[in-house]
Amino acid sequence: MSDATKVAAAASSRDPAVGLAAVASLRKLLESLEELQVSNARAQGWSWQQIADALQVSRQAVHKKYRRYGF
Amino acid sequence: MFERFTRAARLVVVQAQEEARQRKADEIRTEHLLAAFYAVPDADAPDDLAPAVLERFGVGRDEVLRAVDRVHASSGIDAEALSTIGIDLDEVRRQVEEAFGPGALDRTRAASGKKGGRLFGHIPFEGPAKKALQLALREAIALGHNHIGTEHILLGLLHSDEGAAHHILAAHGVRLAPARAVVRDLVGRREAG
Repeated sequence: MSDATKVAAAASSRDPAVGLAAVASLRKLLESLEELQVSNARAQGWSWQQIADALQVSRQAVHKKYRRYGF
Repeated sequence: MFERFTRAARLVVVQAQEEARQRKADEIRTEHLLAAFYAVPDADAPDDLAPAVLERFGVGRDEVLRAVDRVHASSGIDAEALSTIGIDLDEVRRQVEEAFGPGALDRTRAASGKKGGRLFGHIPFEGPAKKALQLALREAIALGHNHIGTEHILLGLLHSDEGAAHHILAAHGVRLAPARAVVRDLVGRREAG
């Protein structure tokens, strides 16, 4: 962690606005990473079932979410 | 309004749609016009002066495109907020780009903040981008030029104070009045030579 990051974390750990903003951004980052990885897996010929198993979700959930992306 | 646009200016307008599409945006915004200045090959558009105008201000292609990508990156994912829980977004982005190529993270639909994105079909111009094109016409008239080139689109982006392109340009020290003077100079030289 950089010094600036440490300072930010120390100064804001109990501030809900900061904590919630971090969670919201983390969720968006997660969505981006998932989309990239699912896209890559499909491009490499993985089945929806294989992807679902790796993500530990149901096949329906992952298929429903990404089907319309055309992966 | 496009009949007085030069070939380069028309190509920029067309290319802006492609820039928006690549970034999964559902509208063509001012930053897509800005990025489009650099996507039109010189051979297709020898009359494309916008990059030369920006060059006079010491602003190059790479920094403009980086700034445009940052606009997209910032929609949704807040690097500062993530740093408070020990996540270095730049490092995440760097690692992802190593595997999936430049801009990979920022080009996801999730990062663009839109569920769908438009992969095909027509993408509309949003208000400020449309306004910048209208202002390009006004800038050309004010300078006494009877064509609308990419340099006038650039002035239109500067003239309008809405839109990310204006802010990117301002952050790089490009202002309307000096940019007008540069355009007058460059167009004058071209017409003299």
